[in-house]
Amino acid sequence: MNTSLPHAPFSHPGWQLWPGLLLGGALVLLVALGFGSLLLTAGELDPASVLNNRYLRGVVQFTVWQALLSVILSLTLALPVARALARHRQFPGRSLLLRLMELSLVLPTIVAVSGIISMYGRQGWLTGLLDQLVPGHSWNLYGLSGILLAHVFFNAPLAARILLQAMESVPQPRLRMASQLGLRGWWLWKAVEWPAVKPVLPGLTALVFTLCFTSFAIIMTLGGGPGTTTLEVAIYQALRFEFDFNQAALLAIIQLLICGSLWWLVFRQGLDTSLLPRRRFSFPVPLPGWPGQLIANSLLIAVFAVFLILPLLAICFRGLPALLPTDGAQALYQQLLPATGRSLLIALPAGVGAVLVALLTLAASNRARNNALAAIPTLTGYLPLIVPPLVLGTGLFILIRPGLGNAAQGWTLVALINGLMAVPFVLQVLRGPMSAMDKNTLKQADQLGILGWYRWKWLYWPHMRRPVALGLAYGIALSLGDFGVIALFGSPGQPTLPVLLYQQLGSYRVAEAAGTGLWLLLLLVSIFASLSGVTRRSHQSLTQSSTTAMPDPEHA
Amino acid sequence: MFSRAVTLLLALLPALAPADDQPVLNVYTHPSFAAEWGPGPAVKAAFEEQCQCTLNFTVLDSGGDILQRLRLEGTSTSADVVLGLDTGTMEAARQTRLLAPHNRSLENLALPIEWEDDIFVPYDWGYFAFVYDTEQLPEPPESLDALINAPDDLKIIIQDPRTSTPGLGLLLWMHSVYGEQAPEKWEQLRGKILTTTQSWSDGYFSLFMNGEAPMILSYSTSPAYHMAVDKTDRYQAVEFEEGHYLQVEVAAMVKTTNKEALAGEFLDFMLTPAFQRHIPLKNVMYPAIDLGDELPEVFDRLITPDNTLYMKPADVANQRRDLVDDWLNAMTR
Repeated sequence: MNTSLPHAPFSHPGWQLWPGLLLGGALVLLVALGFGSLLLTAGELDPASVLNNRYLRGVVQFTVWQALLSVILSLTLALPVARALARHRQFPGRSLLLRLMELSLVLPTIVAVSGIISMYGRQGWLTGLLDQLVPGHSWNLYGLSGILLAHVFFNAPLAARILLQAMESVPQPRLRMASQLGLRGWWLWKAVEWPAVKPVLPGLTALVFTLCFTSFAIIMTLGGGPGTTTLEVAIYQALRFEFDFNQAALLAIIQLLICGSLWWLVFRQGLDTSLLPRRRFSFPVPLPGWPGQLIANSLLIAVFAVFLILPLLAICFRGLPALLPTDGAQALYQQLLPATGRSLLIALPAGVGAVLVALLTLAASNRARNNALAAIPTLTGYLPLIVPPLVLGTGLFILIRPGLGNAAQGWTLVALINGLMAVPFVLQVLRGPMSAMDKNTLKQADQLGILGWYRWKWLYWPHMRRPVALGLAYGIALSLGDFGVIALFGSPGQPTLPVLLYQQLGSYRVAEAAGTGLWLLLLLVSIFASLSGVTRRSHQSLTQSSTTAMPDPEHA
Repeated sequence: MFSRAVTLLLALLPALAPADDQPVLNVYTHPSFAAEWGPGPAVKAAFEEQCQCTLNFTVLDSGGDILQRLRLEGTSTSADVVLGLDTGTMEAARQTRLLAPHNRSLENLALPIEWEDDIFVPYDWGYFAFVYDTEQLPEPPESLDALINAPDDLKIIIQDPRTSTPGLGLLLWMHSVYGEQAPEKWEQLRGKILTTTQSWSDGYFSLFMNGEAPMILSYSTSPAYHMAVDKTDRYQAVEFEEGHYLQVEVAAMVKTTNKEALAGEFLDFMLTPAFQRHIPLKNVMYPAIDLGDELPEVFDRLITPDNTLYMKPADVANQRRDLVDDWLNAMTR
């Protein structure tokens, strides 16, 4: 028996199952309670009031239409970019480009939109260039074009990042085979690349669709007018201005049905919905290209990089004067630094919490034999994305408000909900690597009694360092830039960074607001850079150790 | 720098709970009032000097959110006073029956209209107006009619009446001037609207200050900030012949407060120079009382509409939904 072995902490199998199930279950329950309490307050629902309303039918149609177009455009751009990046693994600025691609998702929309307008608006730099090159062109940012442009800006980098990781995971023997057979173009795509991206594509499509479907401020600012209203805008209107809980609940149900059925389709296919596939460190195998491919790929990557960088550059230019050390900047820093502290006070626990919850629910889903139990982590991963945050927040507020004693509890609640909203993204990042541990290794570990804490530390941690750091960065960054939750629950006099930004905007402090926007951008960059710094080292050491263990023959 | 941030962070923690047993007056308000550079901090200091109490602001996103919070909390609300509702949200707030009569004479009010309301006490006011960039548009249209009939290459930025206070203001403005014909006029105006933003901030920051359009729906007092603080005359409001729609911001006592005397003292204090002197440049609105010489000089250079347009809050509440629907139809036809 095992009595001779020291007993590993947390080695009982229950430790893998129950904490995750309980946490995941609690999250699902929290969402259900929040939504449920709003439904209760709403009373009896009258679906006809929405279905017979021409305006609301139009809203639903437009919401689906623009989300579909956004998905198609984002993926059409993301696929070739990911292909090009997978093909060229060493060029100066590549890792910087990857950091930028992670950034677009977490940038507060008002800051990003201001950057986009400085580029593509009527007075934008690029529009000015276009005026000179093509006089009399009919480019107009405001309308569907602006919505799609912004959605591609936010989602194409995310999609390309995830597709790139899928392509990088192509097993090396397969690449070498393709190289020897001289596969190129269509055949290479069919034999090597398509099988790699196929498993992640449905989940990715559903994710981007959901993000565009629930988009709000972008649609209103760039949409031009009420012809471009989305469901989320109608929900906001019903809740904040009409106090019509009934209609808000109905619209939220429609949103749940549409996005939920999409996710259901994805799962029903039994496809692997993990967005970050198992990570293998395959080495670049030179694949034959068609003539001019290097030039075409370089051009594509350059254009994509410029597309990402230009709006960020505009944010820098606009915000820099307020941050430069002059007399006026002193006062701004006196507000920025404490606000940063308060934001981190919320974002760090939220990020760490989101990662812990994601890890535990994943462990539970890997361990659970029962289908119903295994569904819980899946639900945790997607439910927070498709329940409108305003509906969830209002419902939760109705539910727990009597117990909301003081400000400290309010801050805890804000951190909790921020963490909850970040869980889906963190789960996407961790799911693939977590299940990538091969069966033989695990069996061996079982026989050696490497269980519980030691199993995590020795087996999982070396592989999970990088995904955990990326997940943590997403968790922290998403909470850091959040404005919605904290606005809903009200803040004490002292603002967090996004609240400070909105205060400045609300009182004509345009230059300071631009400075705060840049500060937020820099903070987000440094979070991603420092956390990916931790991971790059581990990546290299792994690559090197495996190189020495099994030298790879140089391909001719 | 990081250690400094940590120190600041630690210094902040004890501030979450008031230490002594002075009574605490809890006021729900919106961010621009409570901001460090807004009237909030100065008002707090001045009031605490006289009341032997602690004035505590709970900051909500907007006037609409103050009302929403009040409705959700009902009689268990911890608010003693709400400050930051306006003529657009007043009636809905009255119908909650959660607010108490003020029982004050309000005789020193200086508003462009007679104020008769037993619950709400005004603390500032202003006109909605189009603010324009004099460098881009030296000769702006001087009436609503001229704007509506201007060529479509004149672009303006407005806010959505479904989500924004000035946006609703323009809807009521058009209705007050054109009545039944307002939807037709909206259709004519449509080609000139560059975009309709969710909030005033989105439009002002992302679009107007980026030079995207030379005119934006804002307040007649906006230029005062640019002139006094930014030291520039570049942004001015244009006076329309038909007159301008009025916005009045109000406060009220909450019925369930157990600090009626203190809440009443605050409402009285609100209409003294000690409170009102912070309104013009920190809230960028007109003070609700005559400040005399204390009114900043730039306020003499603002437009002074001859005709004040104003609908009774009860009428606004009754008609708002229909007006918004008419607007939607006109804009999406």
